[in-house]
Amino acid sequence: MFDLTLEQVDQDGAFLDAVEGAFGRSRAEFLSKALVTGGVLLGALALPRRARSQEDDLSILNFDLAFEYLQATFYTEAEQLGTVDAMTAEQALWARTLGSHERAHVKIIKSVLGKAAVKRPAFNFGGATDTPESFTKTAVAMEDLTVSLLVGQADRFQSPDLVAAVFTLITTEARHATWARRIEGFTPIGKAFDDPMTLAEVDKVVATTNFVDSKLKTVAEGDPRFTG
Amino acid sequence: MRGILLVIGLLAIGGVAGAAVALDFDEPPVRPPTWPGALLPEPVEPAFTPGRPRPLAREEFLFHWASVRQRVLARTIPAEDAPTVGYLETMTPEATTNVVSVLRRDTGSDGELWVKVRLAALPNGMTGWVPRDALGGYGTVRTQLIVDLDGMTATLLRNGRTIFRAAVGVGTSAYPTPTGKFYIRNKLRRYSSPFYGPLAFGTSARSEVLTDWPAGGFVGIHGTNEPELIPGPISHGCIRLSNADILELGRLMPVGTSVTIK
Repeated sequence: MFDLTLEQVDQDGAFLDAVEGAFGRSRAEFLSKALVTGGVLLGALALPRRARSQEDDLSILNFDLAFEYLQATFYTEAEQLGTVDAMTAEQALWARTLGSHERAHVKIIKSVLGKAAVKRPAFNFGGATDTPESFTKTAVAMEDLTVSLLVGQADRFQSPDLVAAVFTLITTEARHATWARRIEGFTPIGKAFDDPMTLAEVDKVVATTNFVDSKLKTVAEGDPRFTG
Repeated sequence: MRGILLVIGLLAIGGVAGAAVALDFDEPPVRPPTWPGALLPEPVEPAFTPGRPRPLAREEFLFHWASVRQRVLARTIPAEDAPTVGYLETMTPEATTNVVSVLRRDTGSDGELWVKVRLAALPNGMTGWVPRDALGGYGTVRTQLIVDLDGMTATLLRNGRTIFRAAVGVGTSAYPTPTGKFYIRNKLRRYSSPFYGPLAFGTSARSEVLTDWPAGGFVGIHGTNEPELIPGPISHGCIRLSNADILELGRLMPVGTSVTIK
């Protein structure tokens, strides 16, 4: 057993490239930069609590929904491709359980947002769901990132009952991260405190993975030239 | 010895206190006003609670497809130095994203991930291996279209169950509709030609006779301005439906759907 770094978790994976590209070589370096940057950004951009509106809550919740889409699609795709079937029984139980949780998260957040819910983006995991090795490594990094996202946003909700609800997600996602680390043979809890991340920081990490794909054009309006 | 006596003493005190609490079941315990818990607000009710997680159902009729993101050569086996069997473009002749049916995935001798795909090329039925990097994200469909040339019917299945059936026009003996396994590549609508009806699907099937047809001689599934000819061997290889049927099919059949023509 040894302490976890992103480099160890995500060897040859998309998150390593993304985080290194965005913030530096090691996770420790990345997080120290993120904390400094986050503090500056929050200090400069955060509105006084009384000035926040319901729109802010919806925006944050929609970002969380987009991230839950990412996670749910990731686990579902690995299962549907048969990648999970190729794992050990313990790993498969973990993957199927987390997949079912993430789908439940999507369902409830979508129903809370109603018509204001963002649509599911197109995703391209670029091979991360194709093999058990790449899948589990990416899952560890993804679950850690989820915890940082939720920890960073929970107290930004104006509605106390939304804060309470998001805390129920945080504890679940933290256990996901712990289980994922256990599956990969890493120390279940890497450090004494979880590091909050701003939406911009999370967005930047996700953007550099290229997991969010552009929409495909499968419908056109030109005259057909089929044989007839 | 002194320690043992202390433990016995504590147990005795605890027993008496426990008995007192146990006997006092009619009255709730009164907390002194100085106890901080008495001043705490009521807990907040969470705005939502996720429902019961559900495992993914076992899906026997799930088909995968992927978009082509880089122009790439397809090879006979998953290896960079293997013979090529054709190439994949990123766009179709109809200016839609080129999608391919995904058949298998494997790690090549180079350690890289490769995907076996169905090619929209002649001879019909050809497959090839391309690097995973050349493809976009995976899509899934649960639909299969079965075209019966003898019976001149098209049947759409979802999860193995029939959800649509219609009479069709098929290729004449001079311009036969090719048989085999194919997939839906795109959907065209709002065009001006009445010949194709209101909607047309592009497939990966190609005419083996009309090889010099514009845009490659692809076989479509479309409506018609001559519905009275359906069913019958009437086309240049395309599968024609009544306009009402093609519109219904347009509602039910997504791009990526597996197509079997037999």
